[in-house]
Amino acid sequence: MNGNARHSQAMHFTARAADKVRNPVLQQALQKAKPLFSGKRAKAMAALPDDGLEFEALREACAGIRDRALNDLDVWLEIFEENACARGAEVLWARDGSEICELVIDVARRHGVQKVTKSKSMLSEEAHLNDALAAAGIEPVETDLGEYIIQLAGEAPSHIIAPAVHKTLQEVETLFAEKHGRPLEARTSADIPALAREARGVLRQHFLSADMGISGANFLIAETGTAALVTNEGNGRMVTTLPRVHVVITGIEKVVPTLQDFATLMRLLPRSATGQTISNYVSLLTGTRADDESEGPTKTVFILVDNGRADVVGSHYQDILRCIRCGACMNHCPVYFSLGGHAYGWVYPGPMGSVLTPLYTGIENALDLPHASTGCRQCSSVCPVRIPLPELMHGLRQEQWRRGLRPWGERLGLRAWAWVAGRPKLYRALTRIAARYLNWLADGAGRIRIFGFAPGWTAARDLPVAAGGKTFFEQYAARKRD
Amino acid sequence: MRIALYVTCLVDLMRPAVGFAALRLLEATGNDVVVPPAQTCCGQPAWSAGNRPLAVELARKAIAELESYNVVVVPSGSCAEQIKSVYPKLFADDAQWGERARRLAERTQELSVFLASLGDACQPPGEFAGSVTYHDSCKGLRGLGIKAQPRALLGRVRGLSLKEMADCEECCGFGGAFAENYADVSARIVDRKCESIAAAGADAVVGGDLGCLLNIEGRLRRRGDETTRVLHFAEVLAGEAQP
Repeated sequence: MNGNARHSQAMHFTARAADKVRNPVLQQALQKAKPLFSGKRAKAMAALPDDGLEFEALREACAGIRDRALNDLDVWLEIFEENACARGAEVLWARDGSEICELVIDVARRHGVQKVTKSKSMLSEEAHLNDALAAAGIEPVETDLGEYIIQLAGEAPSHIIAPAVHKTLQEVETLFAEKHGRPLEARTSADIPALAREARGVLRQHFLSADMGISGANFLIAETGTAALVTNEGNGRMVTTLPRVHVVITGIEKVVPTLQDFATLMRLLPRSATGQTISNYVSLLTGTRADDESEGPTKTVFILVDNGRADVVGSHYQDILRCIRCGACMNHCPVYFSLGGHAYGWVYPGPMGSVLTPLYTGIENALDLPHASTGCRQCSSVCPVRIPLPELMHGLRQEQWRRGLRPWGERLGLRAWAWVAGRPKLYRALTRIAARYLNWLADGAGRIRIFGFAPGWTAARDLPVAAGGKTFFEQYAARKRD
Repeated sequence: MRIALYVTCLVDLMRPAVGFAALRLLEATGNDVVVPPAQTCCGQPAWSAGNRPLAVELARKAIAELESYNVVVVPSGSCAEQIKSVYPKLFADDAQWGERARRLAERTQELSVFLASLGDACQPPGEFAGSVTYHDSCKGLRGLGIKAQPRALLGRVRGLSLKEMADCEECCGFGGAFAENYADVSARIVDRKCESIAAAGADAVVGGDLGCLLNIEGRLRRRGDETTRVLHFAEVLAGEAQP
């Protein structure tokens, strides 16, 4: 079994979804976040022309940059490695999650590391790195506020840029009171800064005492050997500059050729993610501390990870690797905002997750995800790198079909239906019967309340039926005769 | 001009009145309107499920029976999109069928797009004493760019006023088999739509795709809303929606 699949709950999507829609606290948190995400992005995009920019042209350029990198990925990675090493960094390669853990623990042991501070890294989620570090006797401390919250709660991120979006203020207050050992207070949203201050007070001690910092990278810039970090909290800088050792863990697909390319992508990344023209912090981290510098790590290690990505390069699904992790697809997804991220069962939620999870954990291990979409295309219409997410999900649906992974009832049902639909006379006869049957089942108001052929439908809604019990074609034929 | 009306399987079985409304509107344009008798389903359910061979089979059937008309009009954004966008893709590797699919795609029009393209030549006979709010169905909106056309047409209906709801472009949660297979999720999504509709306070919610409309109506009624009417725009334009 694929190593990623061992940690995936994606095959239990339906049961998890049923649980999530019935969780009023979660629904409250999601309902609050939804308009914030979409509203901020919409405002930022509407203001693009003020800066002489145009969304469609910009995302065409951004998609082009990512394609250029992906089409010659090996070449750009080699250029990156050469330039990163020339600036004193070490570049290591990890095939999968367990290799990430082995490499990180090895680096930590070589440098006598006991405590690690971390800024946000989804790759470390793919690897379950915190568990591995703890098992090796190394203390990992998440320092992104959202990541810190869910680390305290013992949970996984439910969103790629807002990991604790599923939590309400009250839940965080209770959690902090318990974990920080203080009395519970009643708070309002106006007190959120006080909660953040409280976390900052705790984290400051960790920043100053950590031996190693682990971060992700939003982009790797090949021409300079640089890791670009786009953040809104100061923690990213603390993690990457204070400790002696800095480890960057990121996917091999994150490379872009030039600084200019990075600048272009930055036009859309913060706007798509949070509606900001630029994030509070943009850090370009290159090499180790030079002799004439007073800050920065003396050891920098890049761990560049495959974990399923190389197989996607050159496949029908390569476009998904353009993803710049802005979260806009999930922020505009009706399914995501009905469930939150945990229902998806693996690291990445929402539309991008519904494509990545089957690809990285095995198509047969995430059968629901490509189908758990209404096909509304809100995701692809906001994607800053024009990933055809609905088409990619559809590609996965086709592959499920080709590999015989669909349930027999669906296979048989569709085949029978298509066979009848190919025979108009038979089709007319059967639909005439169906119309009468529906009419017979309907109550006085013309509605079916329980329908055995569509139990899911009538579990939540009535089925409205037209009066008369006759199909269009039956009535049309009668009119023509008259 | 010979116009074919592609009724769609859902209208045929679940709401024939939409088909007759569309027929009436098309006949009022003074053209020769035909309802091709062998039509059944465009094959979208098979395509959505990921079954390409069955989708191809039904696409061939539809192309053969529709390609001889000047225009094919469909009272559904979703089925029109299947013919216009998916059919050419299905036959991308087949020169002969590919060409036939592309020709049909060019001639196929969603009903509101076709009627709006006629300009003043289309004067909807309907009257509607009341307010409506319009739900933009996803495939029509994001697949075919249908947004202004139905609103422009409804604007010509005497007595009708439009009250836009918040998030009118947000999905209603139908998604074909999705509504059945992921019923819990679908119900949560359509609940948000019902809340937007209630907040708009219109007498009727109007749309252009019967699947979405059945989903919305079914959920509104289950929630206890017995008064908000749920109508296809063709019914309103043709004057078949008077209380």
